Amino acid sequence: MGRGEEDGGERDPGRVTGEKGAQVMEMLGKHFNCPKYTLLEARDKLRLWREENERRSLEVVDMWDSYLQSNIHKLGDERLLVWEQVCIAALDCNRMDVVDICLVSLATEFPSSMRVRKLQAMKMEALEKYDEALELLDQIIKRDETNAAPRKRRVAILKAKGRIAEAIKELNEYLKKFMSDQEAWQELCELYLLEQDYAKAAFCMEELILHNPHNHLVHQRYADIKYTQGGLENMEVARAHYCLALKLNQNNMRALYGLLLAATNVSSMTKSLSAPKKKECNKLIAWASKQIRNRYEEVSGRSPECELEALNGMLGALQIAGPQSSSP
Amino acid sequence: MAELLLDPDIRVWVFLPIVVITFLVGIVRHYVSILLATQKRAELQQLQDSQVMIRARLLRENGHYLPRSSFIMRRHFFNNEETGYFKTQKRAAVSQNPMTDPSMMTEMLKGNITTVLPMIIIGGWINWTFSGFVTTKVPFPLTLRFKPMLQRGIELVSLDAAWVSSASWYFLNVFGLRSIYTLVLGENNAADQSQHLQDQMSGAAMAMPPDPKVAFKAEWEALEICEHRWALENIEGVLVGNPSPAIEQAS
Repeated sequence: MGRGEEDGGERDPGRVTGEKGAQVMEMLGKHFNCPKYTLLEARDKLRLWREENERRSLEVVDMWDSYLQSNIHKLGDERLLVWEQVCIAALDCNRMDVVDICLVSLATEFPSSMRVRKLQAMKMEALEKYDEALELLDQIIKRDETNAAPRKRRVAILKAKGRIAEAIKELNEYLKKFMSDQEAWQELCELYLLEQDYAKAAFCMEELILHNPHNHLVHQRYADIKYTQGGLENMEVARAHYCLALKLNQNNMRALYGLLLAATNVSSMTKSLSAPKKKECNKLIAWASKQIRNRYEEVSGRSPECELEALNGMLGALQIAGPQSSSP
Repeated sequence: MAELLLDPDIRVWVFLPIVVITFLVGIVRHYVSILLATQKRAELQQLQDSQVMIRARLLRENGHYLPRSSFIMRRHFFNNEETGYFKTQKRAAVSQNPMTDPSMMTEMLKGNITTVLPMIIIGGWINWTFSGFVTTKVPFPLTLRFKPMLQRGIELVSLDAAWVSSASWYFLNVFGLRSIYTLVLGENNAADQSQHLQDQMSGAAMAMPPDPKVAFKAEWEALEICEHRWALENIEGVLVGNPSPAIEQAS
C-alpha cells in the first residue's frame, strides 16, 4: 500500500549526476536494453500487467516515454485505462510531468469521477501534501461510503507519516466494515510486525490462511511469526506450519531451515517431553538436515567435499544456537 | 402435394427486411438500456454484511488449518450468545413488497421500457405490415403440432408444417439473434471496459442474499455445528514418511 516516493527514478541518462545517479543508471540499465515493442504489443503487455496487478512502474513509464505518449489516441477507449496505469506508475517513479499529463487528460474526460479524484489525492500524497490529500479522500468517502480505495489510502498516508499506531487503528476500523479484504489483513500484519506485536500479527496471518489455505508462503510467514513469538506451544504450531509449507512446495528452503530450527527448539525446550515424542522430533530434525544437504548437493552438482563440510559445520552451529536465539 | 413456389420479391421485401429490422432494433435497445441504466449503489451496511458472510464461510471451510484456539476464538466472535456478531447485529427484515420501494419501481419500469415495449410495438407493426406472407421453409419435415408456432397469421389447414409465416419468422429472429448480438456488441470490448472507468469498483462482494437476518441465522447454525479437526495433527509424520498417528495417541 505504501507507494509514492520510494524510488526517485530519473530516465534521461544525460541529466542524471552524482552517486544516486549511478544507482539509478544501474537500475535502468536493463530497461534500456529491453526490445522495442510495436504499439499492439505494448498494449497487450500493459493489459496483461493490469490484469495481473503487476506494478512494473519503471517499464510502464519507459513505454510511455518512448512511444505511447505520441500514439495514445490510436488505442481508442483503452487509452483511458492506460492513462490511469501510467499515472500510477509515474507516481512510483516520481515523474510529475507524466502524472500531470495523464491527470489532465483524465480529468477532462471525466470531470466528476471519483476514480480520477483518487488519483489526484495520490499525487498530493506523492508531493507530501498529506493534509490536502486527506481532505480530498474524505470528500470521496463522503460521496460514496462503500468505496474501499480512499479509506486504504488514508491508512497509507498515516503509514507514510510514520504514525504506525494511528494507521493500525484506522485499518482496524476499516476491517470492521470490510472484513474479507485480504490485502488489508496483510497490511495490518505488516504494521503489527513493525510494532512487534506478534500475537496480533499472527492473528492477521491466520486470517490470510483462511483465505488461501494452499499458499505455502502464507503458511511459512505464519510459522515465522509463531516461531518469533516463542514458547513451546507456539513453536509446535510453527513446526506444523513449516511442515505444511514444505508439503505444498518442496523447494521452499526458508521453510526447510525454519523446520530444522523449530524442531530443534522443541526438542531442547522441555525436559518433560515424553520419549516417543522426543524420538519423533529427533527424526524430524534428522530428516530436515538431510533434506538441506540433499538440496545443496543437487545445486552444487558433484558436491565438492569442502563445501559440504562447511555446510555440516553451519548446521551444527544452527542446532546449537537454535535454543538461545529467538528469531530465525 | 404440389410444391409451392415463392415470389422472389417476398425474399427481398419481406424475408430480409424482417431480419434487418429485428437486428437493428436489438442494437438500438442495447444502447438505450446502457443510457437508462443507473449504477446500483450498495449500502455500506449491505457490503459489511456480505463481507461478514464470506469471512464466516471461509472459517467454516478452511478453519481446520488453524490451531484449535484460533478457530474457537473466531467462532466465539461470530457465535457467542451474548456478544457474538451474528447474535448482536440486528437487521430489519426486508419488506417483501417491491411496490413500496420507489427505486425498485423505476427499475421495473426501465426493464419494461427496454424489453417488453419494443417487443409489442415492433411485433405489432411487423404483424400488420408483413402479414399473411409465407416467407421460407425449414429444410426438414415437421409434424402438425408445429403449425401454430411456425405459421402464425396463416390459417391454412392444407399447408405443410415446414413453411414459415412472416410473423413467426419475426419471432424466430428475436430469439435466434442473441448469439449474433454477443458477436457484434461483444462482452469484453473496449467500449464496455471504458464504461467502468466512470464508476468505482466496490469489491467483488456486492451480491448479497436479500434478507440478511435469515442469512445470518443460517450461517450461525452452520458455524455452530462446525467441528474443528486440526488438519496439521500429524503433518510431521506424513512429511517424514510415517503416516501412522500412533505416536500421537500413545503420548
